Amino acid sequence: MDIRKIKKLIEIIEESDIAELEIKEGEESIRINRYSAAPATVTYAAAPAPVVAPSNTTAEKPAEEKINGHIVKSPMVGTFYRSASPGTRVFVEVGQSVSVGETLCIIEAMKILNQIESDKSGTVTKILVENAQPVEYGQPLFIIE
Amino acid sequence: MSISDNQKQILSLLADGQFHSGTELSDILGVSRSAIWKHMQFLASVGLPYSAVSGKGYRLEKPLELLAAHKIDQILNNQAKSLISSLEIHQQIDSTNRYLSERAQNHAPSGSICLAEHQTAGKGRRGRQWVSPFGSNIYLSILWRFQQGPAGISGLSLAIGVAVIRALKIYGIDSLGLKWPNDIYSLGKKFGGILVEVSGETGGPCVAVIGLGLNMYLPESEAEGITQAWTDLNKITGRNDLARNKLAGLLLNELMPIIAEFESLGIKAYLDEWRDYDCLKQKAATLYIANQPFDGIVQGIDDNGMLLIKRPDGSVQTFASGEVSFNDSLS
Repeated sequence: MDIRKIKKLIEIIEESDIAELEIKEGEESIRINRYSAAPATVTYAAAPAPVVAPSNTTAEKPAEEKINGHIVKSPMVGTFYRSASPGTRVFVEVGQSVSVGETLCIIEAMKILNQIESDKSGTVTKILVENAQPVEYGQPLFIIE
Repeated sequence: MSISDNQKQILSLLADGQFHSGTELSDILGVSRSAIWKHMQFLASVGLPYSAVSGKGYRLEKPLELLAAHKIDQILNNQAKSLISSLEIHQQIDSTNRYLSERAQNHAPSGSICLAEHQTAGKGRRGRQWVSPFGSNIYLSILWRFQQGPAGISGLSLAIGVAVIRALKIYGIDSLGLKWPNDIYSLGKKFGGILVEVSGETGGPCVAVIGLGLNMYLPESEAEGITQAWTDLNKITGRNDLARNKLAGLLLNELMPIIAEFESLGIKAYLDEWRDYDCLKQKAATLYIANQPFDGIVQGIDDNGMLLIKRPDGSVQTFASGEVSFNDSLS
């Protein structure tokens, strides 16, 4: 299983209240348990050797400890867009430094396109929503450290 | 390429929709007849089809009323005048919304208005193009500053739709409809679109640029790229002498107070009127968020202006955004 996929799954778990998640995909399966002491493991049905997830993942720690940075939340219900229009460059990438007032994304609600500005200077460490997905009021969108 | 003074002069001569000979035009402008021909080619390329008949000369496909600030001013009422800080008319511009967004960054005040004869990059939603040929339609943008941030002006887009309907009614157009959230329809076909772009602090002051494109006369040759059912006021009314400055003025009369009062009145003040023109209600439709479809029967809008769809399982879901398409043609 692609390591990026595993990271993504861990992120999903971190943002949710799910205690444990198990996914089977063909011959591969992964189980992530956020409260056990054991690290997240990927097991291959055909191959016995378990692959240990990278040690910098933090799935086993409680969620509130992990978010050290500033959370940018959605000010409204709408659809989240990472670029001004399809095919154009995204406003920000993970790892990019941003300053106050810089546009992070667009949230569209009832055909009002709202440019959401950063209210904090720092580095974008996480983008928590996929492009073109609906978001709720108060939903975390970005983490800036 | 922008419209030259010579081309403007040719346009003012041909605006009457009558034949003018190449010789007459070249005499008045003091240029050669082949230069006139080149100017005519250019004007056709920006959306002004003409016919050229030997022995008669050139004639535009339809008479033209060019935008003129003093003619718009004659229509404006005192309230609208008091809310307008500046009114610019551009012969050619990339996008009236893009222009005012730039002006907003340079501290342009509320009530800055931009109209254009021609947009080279007219904006629709999410990178779509608004077909904007020269001299026959309304391309209008308004800049306004709000105190409460984006959440405070939620629903403004629907109120704008109501303002446009009011103006069109005063102008004498019947059979009008609104397709959620604010497309302007007549008899199942779209002829107006509204795009609101907001930037600023999420909890504090923000600036909105409200753009309106309204088809008055769209030559078939220009409309080839439009993928949905469209119409224009020329088709709706059967008239080709529609007064464009008058409509621009009537639109501003209705738009300006609704925009200026929106933060205090909110969408509530316009819900009943919006619902009277709802052309989706009780229709089978599909709403798309990204590529995910949600189909069902439209139940109208809730008190926040969000779309209600009754899904096949009987539940009613509320949508803040998404693209709606009709499953059947509208009546």
